[in-house]
Amino acid sequence: MIQTESYKLSMGPVHPSTHGVLQVWLTLDGERILRADPCMGYLHRGIEKLLEKRTYFQCLPYTDRLDYVSAMNNNLGYCSAVEKLAQIEVPKRAQYIRVIMAELNRIASHMIFIGSLAVDLGATTGMIYPFRDRERILDIFNELCGARMTYSYIRIGGVKSDLAVKVISMIDDFLAKLTDMIDEYNDLLTGNEIFQYRLKNTSILTAKQAMELGITGPMLRASGVSYDLRKDNTYCSYEDFDFSIPLGEKGDNWDRYIVRLKEMSESAKIIKQALAGLPTGEFMAKVPKVLKPPKGEVYDVTEGPRGEVGYHIVSDGSAKPYRVHIRRPSFINLQALDIMCRGYLVGDVVAAMSTIDPIMGEVDC
Amino acid sequence: MQGKGLLVGLAVTLKHFFGKKETVQYPEEKIPMTEAFRGGKLLLDEKKCISCKLCAMACPNTALDLTVEIDENKKRHMKNYIHKAGRCLYCNFCVEACPVDALSWDKNYENSCYYRENLTYDAVENNRKDEKNG
Repeated sequence: MIQTESYKLSMGPVHPSTHGVLQVWLTLDGERILRADPCMGYLHRGIEKLLEKRTYFQCLPYTDRLDYVSAMNNNLGYCSAVEKLAQIEVPKRAQYIRVIMAELNRIASHMIFIGSLAVDLGATTGMIYPFRDRERILDIFNELCGARMTYSYIRIGGVKSDLAVKVISMIDDFLAKLTDMIDEYNDLLTGNEIFQYRLKNTSILTAKQAMELGITGPMLRASGVSYDLRKDNTYCSYEDFDFSIPLGEKGDNWDRYIVRLKEMSESAKIIKQALAGLPTGEFMAKVPKVLKPPKGEVYDVTEGPRGEVGYHIVSDGSAKPYRVHIRRPSFINLQALDIMCRGYLVGDVVAAMSTIDPIMGEVDC
Repeated sequence: MQGKGLLVGLAVTLKHFFGKKETVQYPEEKIPMTEAFRGGKLLLDEKKCISCKLCAMACPNTALDLTVEIDENKKRHMKNYIHKAGRCLYCNFCVEACPVDALSWDKNYENSCYYRENLTYDAVENNRKDEKNG
C-alpha cells in the first residue's frame, strides 16, 4: 500500500484568479482537493460602521463601494430600503429609469463574469471581448452621471437626473449591438471544446446544497431552483415587464456560465420594454432636506447580479441610521466554495471560484 | 467535428485583427470627458460664492475644510477652500448642494502625484495663481 499524506497549499491573497484579495487554504491529497477554506478580510473597510456616522443621504456613496462592478444595484437596494422606512413614494418614471440602469449594470457585471472566467481558464483573448463591450455600458453611465464605476445615481426618492435624449440613443445603440456581442462570445467561448471540457460536470452544486447554504442569484438558478426576486417579490415596477428566468439543470460550472449568458438577453428585453413604455412625469419625489425616518427597522431585498442584496436598517428617529446591516450575496455564495471544490483537481478551484463570481469589496464590506 | 469550435474562435479573432482599432494611443491622444464628468480639482467661483458652507456639510467624508472671514462691511468671504482630494469620494454632493452653482470640476483626470500632501490644495489659492498668470 502506498501511504499518502495530505498537505496544505495557500492560494492567494495575491493571485490573479481570486478576483481581488482572497486567500484560499487548500488541503490537498496529491492533486485532489480535500478541503478549501476561504480566508477573507483583506479588503475590510468597516463600511457598516462608517454608515452609522453619516446621514441617510451621505451613506449612498459608500454603497457604491461594496460591489463595485454593479454599483447601480447596490444604490437601488439601499434607496428602496430607506424609502420603505421613510414611506416615500417613488414616481413611476424614476422607477422605470432605475430598472433600465439596474439591468444595464447587470449586463455589465455578467460581461465581467464572462471575461474573468475566460482569463481564469487561460483564454486571454476571451477576456478582451466582453471587457471591450462593457466599456460601451460604462460610456453610457459616464454620460449619464459622470462616473464609470461609483455612480451614486439612484437617490433616495428617485434618480439624480432625468434621461437625456443622447443617453437614450446610446442605450438603443448598445441594445442593437448586444445580440452580435453575445454571438461573438458564443463563437469564442461557448463553442470552444477546451472551455466545455473544463466546465462541464465540474464543481457540481445540487439544489438541496445550494438552498441549505442560502445561495441566491444565478448560482441558485443554475442548480435548477427558480427563485428570482424580480418575479417572486416584485419591486420597482418589475411586474410591468415580460421576461423569463433562465434555469440550469445540474448546477455545474457550465450551467452557471450559461445561466448568466442567457440572463444578459433577458435583461436586454426588460430594458427595451422599459424604454418603450417610459412614463412622463417627475424623476424625483419630494424628499425633505433633513431626512428623519420614524423609529423602527426595515429589511428590504432586491435582486443584484450576484443574488439577493438586502439592507437591514434600524432607525432611532434621528438623521443618521442607528445600525445598517448589509446582506451581501458574494459573501454568502462564497461559502459554497468548499463543497464545490471537494474531490476535484487544483485546476478546477480556479473555475469554481470564477463561477461563484465573488467581488471582494462586497465579501469583506 | 472535434476542434471546430477552436477554428470558429480563431476566425473571430482574425476578423478583428484586420478591423478597426478599439484602443487609443493614450498620452498623444486623449478621449474628451463628458459634460457630467466628476473628477479632478474643484473650481470655486468666488464671485458667486456666498460662503454658506453647505458644500462642506453635504460632504460624506469631511474632505472639505473651509475658513470664512467677515470683512468690515460684515460681508462673508471665503478665506481658504481646502479640498483634501485624498479623502474625496467624488460623489458630486458638494456641487449639487451649492445653492448658487459656484462649484464645478475641472475635469482633469491626470491627478496622481508622488506625495500624499500634494493631494490637498486650496481652491481660493488656485484662483489667485490663475489671476496672477492671467
